Amino acid sequence: MMTPEQAVFAAIVTCFAGSAIALLTARSKAMSGWLAFAATAASSILIFGGACEVLLHGPSAEPLKLWAAPAYAISFRLHVDGLAIVFLVLAAGIALPAALYSIRYMEHYADYGVRRYYPCLLLFLAAMYGLLSTTDTMWSFLVFWQLMTLPGYILIRFEYRKEQNRRASRKFLVMMQIACAAIMVGSALLAPSGGGARFEFASVRANLPALLSAHPGTVALAFTLFLIGFGIKMGMWPFGQMWLPDAHPAAPSPVSALLSGVMIKTGVYGVMRYFLWLVPATAQDDFPLARWGVVVTVLGTVTLFTGTMQALKQEESKRLLAFHSIGQIGYILLGLGACMALLPAGPEAGTLAMLGLIGALFHVLNHGLFKGLLFLNAGSMLHATGTQDLNRLGGLMKYMPLTGVTALVGSLAISGVPLFNGFASKWAIFVAAIQGAGSAKYLAVCAAIGILTSGITLASFIKFFGTSFLSRTSELVAEKAGLRPALHGAEPRAHTSRAHTSLANAGSAGTGKLEVGWSMQLPQIVLALCCVLLGLAPGVAFGILQRAIAATPQGAGALLAQAAPVSAGVLSGVTGPLGTAVFVPAGLLAALGVGFLVAYGISRMGSAPRRAAAPWLCGYATEAECDRYIAHNFYSEVKRHFHWVGGAENGKVAVVKGRTS
Amino acid sequence: MQVVWAIFGSALNIALVLSLAPLLHGVMRRITARIQSRQGPPLLQPYFDLLKLLGKEDIESGETPGMQRLAAWLSLAAVLAVACLLPMGFGAPLNLAGDVILLIYLLTLCGVSTLLAGMAAGSTYSLIGVSREMMTMITLEPLLAMALVVGALHAGSLRLDAVLNGSVYMGGSVPWSGLIMVTVMLLSLQAFVQRVPFDVAGAETELMEGPLMEYSGPKLALFQLANMARLVIYCAVFAGLFLPWGSQMPFPLGWLLFWVKVFALVLLVTLVAATHARYRIDQALRYFASLLGVSAVALVLATFGY
Repeated sequence: MMTPEQAVFAAIVTCFAGSAIALLTARSKAMSGWLAFAATAASSILIFGGACEVLLHGPSAEPLKLWAAPAYAISFRLHVDGLAIVFLVLAAGIALPAALYSIRYMEHYADYGVRRYYPCLLLFLAAMYGLLSTTDTMWSFLVFWQLMTLPGYILIRFEYRKEQNRRASRKFLVMMQIACAAIMVGSALLAPSGGGARFEFASVRANLPALLSAHPGTVALAFTLFLIGFGIKMGMWPFGQMWLPDAHPAAPSPVSALLSGVMIKTGVYGVMRYFLWLVPATAQDDFPLARWGVVVTVLGTVTLFTGTMQALKQEESKRLLAFHSIGQIGYILLGLGACMALLPAGPEAGTLAMLGLIGALFHVLNHGLFKGLLFLNAGSMLHATGTQDLNRLGGLMKYMPLTGVTALVGSLAISGVPLFNGFASKWAIFVAAIQGAGSAKYLAVCAAIGILTSGITLASFIKFFGTSFLSRTSELVAEKAGLRPALHGAEPRAHTSRAHTSLANAGSAGTGKLEVGWSMQLPQIVLALCCVLLGLAPGVAFGILQRAIAATPQGAGALLAQAAPVSAGVLSGVTGPLGTAVFVPAGLLAALGVGFLVAYGISRMGSAPRRAAAPWLCGYATEAECDRYIAHNFYSEVKRHFHWVGGAENGKVAVVKGRTS
Repeated sequence: MQVVWAIFGSALNIALVLSLAPLLHGVMRRITARIQSRQGPPLLQPYFDLLKLLGKEDIESGETPGMQRLAAWLSLAAVLAVACLLPMGFGAPLNLAGDVILLIYLLTLCGVSTLLAGMAAGSTYSLIGVSREMMTMITLEPLLAMALVVGALHAGSLRLDAVLNGSVYMGGSVPWSGLIMVTVMLLSLQAFVQRVPFDVAGAETELMEGPLMEYSGPKLALFQLANMARLVIYCAVFAGLFLPWGSQMPFPLGWLLFWVKVFALVLLVTLVAATHARYRIDQALRYFASLLGVSAVALVLATFGY
C-alpha cells in the first residue's frame, strides 16, 4: 500500500512520462491525445487513492524525502495533508475530463500541431500536483512554480499566429514572475538564518514565534508579499484584471477550463496555507490574524463585485467566463476572510469560522466544476460555430441540445440557484459572514454586497446562455448548420408560419445538427452531473471537507479543531452553528417537485392542443439578422451606470458585425 | 410529527395561494376601475380568464418548445415552493428545511423562470423585456435581501420563524434600521409585485407584456397565475418582516388577521398603481439605486444594534 506522498509522487512521474510519450507520438493528433489522456487518468487514480488514504487514516507523520542539498538550503520533499488533498482532488478531477475533451477538440486546429499541446498539458498538471504538496517555500517552490508557468505560457500562446494571444501570454508570464519573486522574497524574510532545510514549512514555523515578537514588521511585510504573490495567481483585484481576462480566452478551451478551474486555485491554496497553517498555534496570539481577515475580506468583496460587474459587459463567451473567474475568486476570499476574522474571536465565532472555511473550500471545488464545465461548453460552441462572439450566436439549443442543457446547469450553478452546488457553498459563506457580524461588523456589509453580486452573476449568465442557446437562430448558426440562409434574408415569405415550421422540420429531420462528438459530450455530462449531485447532497461534501480540515493539524488547525463541527448529512442537509441556519435540499426538492406536479396538472387540465408558429413581430418586420436582440444590447442602462468599474476596453463595436445584411 | 405538520402546512399554503390569488387580482381590477370611473369586471373574472386560457390553443413560437414548457412550469413551481417557506398566519411550514438565504435565492428563481421564458420565445420584444426585467431584478432583489439581513442581524439567527416575525424592530428602543427598512420597502413594494409605476419589463403599451408576449393558452395561464401568486408571496414577506402584530394569536384569529394584512397591502398596491404613470427604465433604476443606498445605511445601523 502506497502512502499518500508516494501516490502523489507516482502521479507526478506518470505525468512526466506521459509528457515524453505524447511528445514522441505528436505526429498523430489522436494517438498523442489518447496517450495523454491515459497518463492523466492514471495520475488521477493515484491522486484519488492518496486522497482516500488521507481521509481514512489521516496524513503521514513524515514528509516523503526525495532529494536534498543542505549546503544550498535545497530540499525536495512532498507532504500531503487534508488541505492539499482538497486541491489535489480538484486538479485531478478537472484534468481528467479536460484531457478527454482535448482529444477531439484539438483536431479542429488544422494548422497547429499538438506537439506544443499535450506535453505541456501534462507538465502543467504535474507541476500543480507538486506545488500543492511541496513542503518547501523557496527552491522546490520555484521549480514547481516555473514548471507550471512556462508550459502554461506555451499553452496560452498555442495559437501563436494571433497577436492578441502572444500579448496575453506575455502578460501571463510577466505577472507570474512578479508573483514568484514576491513569494520568494517573503519566504526569505521569514526563514531562519543558517544552513540546512531552512526554507521548509517546519523550520519557518519554528522560527516564526521569535520573529513575531522581535520583528513584527518583517512578518507583516512577508505576509503582504505572500498576499500579493498568491493574489496575482488567483486573480484577486487589482492584479487579476491585469492578466486573467486576456489569458483565459486565448488558450484552447480545455486549457481554459484547467487555468480557471484549477490553476488559479493554487493561489487560494497558497493564501490558506501561509495565513492559516504556517503560524504555529503557540504564536497565534502575536499574529494579527483578525486584521489580515479584514484585508482579505475587503479585497474579496472588491474582487467579487468588480470581477462580476466587468463580466456583465463582455460579449465574448470565454472572456465573459474569465471575468467571472475573478468574481468567483472574490466569493472564496470572502469566505476565507470571514474565517480569518472570526477564528481568533473565541470558540463560538470559531464555529462560524469553520463554516466560512468550509464554504470557501467548497466553493473552490464548485467553481472548478462549473467553470470547467462552462469553459468546455464555450469550447463546444467555438468548435461548432468557430466564434466566441455571443452577438453572432443564437438558437443553438436546437442544434446542440446536450451542450445546451449542460450549459444551463453550469449557468444556474454559478448563479447560485438552489439545488445546484454553487448555492450550497455560497450559503455557507453568507451564513458565516452574516452571523459573524456579531464579532466583526463589516462582514454583514460584505455579505450583502455578495448577495447583490450574485444577482449580477445571474444577469450575466442569462445573457450568456440565453443569447447563445435560446433567442433565435442567428445567420452564422444557420449557415454552420447547413440550413438555407434564405430564411434570414430579404425573402418576405419567410415570415409566414409555414416557413417557420419548415425550418423546425429541417432541424429535426437530421440535417443541421452541430452537436459535438461523444468524447466531448461525456466530460460535459460528468461535470454537470457533479454540479447537480453536489447541489442535492451538499452534506456529503461538508462532511468530507471537515475531515480534510481535521487532517491538517498544524498552525490554526488547532483552533479549528476546537470549533464545534457543522452538522451535515445527505437527508438532513446542513445546519449552521446552534441551529441558527439550515438548508435541507431534500425538503426543498419535495416542495419544488409538488409545485411542478401542480403546474403540470393545471397546464394539461384543458388538454389544450399545441402548435408551432413564428414569433409575432407586429406584422411589419421580417425575421432578419439585424432585428435580433443580441448580447451587445443587454443591460445597457446598468452598463452605463457602472462604466467606472471598467472592463470594457475590448468593447469593439460588435453591432456592426451583426448587421451584415 | 414535525414532518406531518410541514406537509400539512405546505399543502394549506399552496392551496390558499392558488385559490385566493386570482380573487385578490379581481379585487385589484375592480378597485382600479372604480378609481378611473369605470365599472370594472366581476370579482371572479380572473378565475374565468384562467379557465378559458387553459382550454385555448397553446402556440409555441420559440425554437425550443421544451424550454418554454419548462419555464412555464417552473414559474408556478418556484412561487409555490416559496409559499411553503413563508409563515402565512401560522409558522412557516418548511421552517426546518430552509432559512432566509434560501428564501432570497428562491425568490430570484421565480424571476429566472420569466427570463428563461422570454429568452426561449426569441422575439425581439421578449428579449427587450428580459433585459429590462433582469436590470430591475439586479437593483431590486438586494433591497429585500438587505431587509432580511437586517432582520437576521437583530434576531441573531437566519431561521425563517425568527426573522419573519417583525425582527427588524428588535434593535434598541427606537429601531432605526427597522424604520428605515420599512420605509424603503413601502416605496419599492410596487416594483416587487411588478405593478405600475414599475412594470417596465412587462410594459403592456410598448412591449406588449415583454417576456410573456409570445405566450398563449395554458402557459400564459400558468404565468399569470404565478404572477398573481407573486403578489400574495411578497405581501406575506412584507407582513412577516414589518407587520408582525397579532401573528401570535390562536389559530383561526392570527390566520384571519394575516389575510386581512395581505388584503390591506393589496389595496395599497392598487391605489398606487391606479394613480401613477409608468417610469422609464433608467428612472426606475435610479430610484431603486437610491433606495439601495438608503438601505445600506440601515444595514450599517443594524450591525451596530440600532
